[in-house]
Amino acid sequence: MTSVGESTASPSLWQQIWRRKPVAVMTDETGTDTEGGELKRTISLFQLSLFGIGATIGTGIFIVLTSAVPEAGPAVVWAFVMAGVVAGLTAICYAELASAVPVSGSSYSYAYATLGEGIAMVVAACLLLEYGVSAAAVAVGWSQYLNELLDNLFGFTIPENLSNAPEADGIINLPAIVLVVLCTLLLIRGASESAKVNAAMVLIKIGVLVLFIVVGVTGWNSDNLSDFAPFGVSGITSAAGIIFFSYIGLDAVSTAGEEVHNPRRNLPLAIIIALVTVTTLYILVAIVAVAAQPFEAFEDQEAGLSAILESVTGSSWPASVLAAGAVISIFSVTLVVIYGQTRILFAMGRDGMVPPIFHKLNPRTLTPVPATIIVAVIVSLLAGLLPINFLAEMTSIGTLTAFLIVSIGVMVLRYTQPDLPRGFRVPFGPVIPILSIAGCFWIIFDLRAVTIYVFLGWSAVALLWYFFYGRHHATLGKQASS
Amino acid sequence: MTMVVGYPPDGRRRAVLHLAGMLARSSGDDLVLCAVIPASWPPSPARVDAEYQDYLERAAHAALERAGERIGDDVEVTTLVHHARSVPAGLLEIVEHRDASVLVTGGFSSTVNRLLHSSHVPVAVAPHGFRAPAGARVERVTAAFGSDDDQLVVAAAGVAARVGATLRLASFAVRPRAPYTVAVGREADDSAVVEWVDEIRAAQQAALGRVSELPAVPSECEAVVGRGEDWEDALEDVDWGPGDVLVVGSSPVGPVARVFLGSRSEKIVQHSPVPVVLVPRGVAEELADEAASAA
Repeated sequence: MTSVGESTASPSLWQQIWRRKPVAVMTDETGTDTEGGELKRTISLFQLSLFGIGATIGTGIFIVLTSAVPEAGPAVVWAFVMAGVVAGLTAICYAELASAVPVSGSSYSYAYATLGEGIAMVVAACLLLEYGVSAAAVAVGWSQYLNELLDNLFGFTIPENLSNAPEADGIINLPAIVLVVLCTLLLIRGASESAKVNAAMVLIKIGVLVLFIVVGVTGWNSDNLSDFAPFGVSGITSAAGIIFFSYIGLDAVSTAGEEVHNPRRNLPLAIIIALVTVTTLYILVAIVAVAAQPFEAFEDQEAGLSAILESVTGSSWPASVLAAGAVISIFSVTLVVIYGQTRILFAMGRDGMVPPIFHKLNPRTLTPVPATIIVAVIVSLLAGLLPINFLAEMTSIGTLTAFLIVSIGVMVLRYTQPDLPRGFRVPFGPVIPILSIAGCFWIIFDLRAVTIYVFLGWSAVALLWYFFYGRHHATLGKQASS
Repeated sequence: MTMVVGYPPDGRRRAVLHLAGMLARSSGDDLVLCAVIPASWPPSPARVDAEYQDYLERAAHAALERAGERIGDDVEVTTLVHHARSVPAGLLEIVEHRDASVLVTGGFSSTVNRLLHSSHVPVAVAPHGFRAPAGARVERVTAAFGSDDDQLVVAAAGVAARVGATLRLASFAVRPRAPYTVAVGREADDSAVVEWVDEIRAAQQAALGRVSELPAVPSECEAVVGRGEDWEDALEDVDWGPGDVLVVGSSPVGPVARVFLGSRSEKIVQHSPVPVVLVPRGVAEELADEAASAA
């Protein structure tokens, strides 16, 4: 390994930014006699594709149409294709980076081991958006479907003021906050979902979407599609920016490289199979939705899919079933996402990039309790006070940027470290990374200006944090100097 | 045979190690020191929590290594870090996988409580702060004796004879102070206790008689009755010394009973000043058969 501050004097800022966490540090002495689980196993193409579908079919589709359709009109269908293609390209690039580091982890860990500390910090800042902010976004979506369900079942709704963000004519989104608090309590106790529950959640999500397609198609009205792309190509790309949110999770396939049988063939194939399946399902949902009502009707429609079913069928039970499915599965997603966020912060805390309080564990439950509480407070504030379309866009821009960096990193590594062993190489030379980079930029530039500015501001904060805190406290720096 | 020792990776339960060492030294079993840590989650190959898991694993291995050194060279010790969704579930998985004869754990907590009710092998529980000097062995096996604990007594006698300990039967008369004075008064209550004690003494002698007919008899056999207003009092009424182990029979109960009923064994575990071994009914039967047929 190179570039781990060999100089005796304190390293320069330049050296600090580019120092990499040696891979050996991450893998040594991991349980020689550890039983039960993470032994090397061979995952087949079928299993990996299934896993990719399960990880990707998220909650995004339940909540993005309300924000995306007013941007693109019925052409939102193309926005799904576009977001899907970009997600697939980035996932393939990510697979090469992940395969260069022989342990699992988040893209922060991979970036730290291959691209250097400074870039890892930027990726981490993006991950905070991908996890923390997306937790807030899905919590807001949950609140909408909960209200729909309560209304249908008991004729009771939580007052507007208490179930909407200030920008959406409310005071605070209380149900979203309650959801985050519930998840936090479970996580502090050390709760986890079994593989069976997880599989059930995936089935619920797919079942609910299929229900929507089958029932919703009865309300097909071609008139609604007559003005197919009212806002042209730029409308489609800005919708794609929002929709990208619903493809988060596809990158999970990329990190399985180590365990996959014949990764050169199966990894990209699994990504494509998962992508095509998920995109097809999304497109069917989208096309049924836009054919059921004029695109103007999507604006500010709460619990969109439920509301459409209700107006199509004129009866409330299909809408209630859908809302119930959404309420259950979004709960599980929020749990997983908050869990992921606290564990990423734990890794960063171990590396000294954030204060040590983030890697403090409760000795009995072995859960990072302070980190969980801090994350919960911030996520609740975001969920309680910000509107869903802004949260979804922030999540998308964060994820897009993280994978933009990864795609650039893959190309840079090909030149700077051609001999680094890689379990998987992106085929066709630089074509895919370049397309991936272009796609990310294209979508990012069509997001709303406010989203881009807030994101730039957030990145600046992250870099300042690194400049004043991270680079001085990095465990790597301390090891090198001692 | 193998004893599985549940040792929390925070390294705070020395009592467990002392008890495990004492039991293994006496019986000649080997120990598997286990730390159960949370399973990776969500269940997927993409492990966003890899570094967290890695840290837990290393910390657990380090704690087990230190713990193993504490037990001493006269016992064979191996260590194991196991991932599971909960500590009791993890320990029971290991017991099954290793085909262990005893599960050793410590303190009174929700974990121990769940183990008491769901384990199919005996569970040994070290009281808080339990200490055994280096080289200590089990000197006396005390079997908690109620009306239908004959098999437990025979089983305890067999084990006591095998490990070279003496046997004692202990019955406990727990009689809460009457909350109000009525015409019959406390005296009537007392006479009921006296009668019960007489009956149980007779039953104890009968049980000891059966023990004396076993092929291998412990070097010394005695019987006592402890009386008190609650379990703590009654347990303290009997004298205890170092090297004492209290053996209690337990019957597995269904999940509903688990929630709504506290059990006798739970109370004993909670208040016993010496280590308690809970023996499920099925195991008591097997051990009793073994003791009766041993040459």
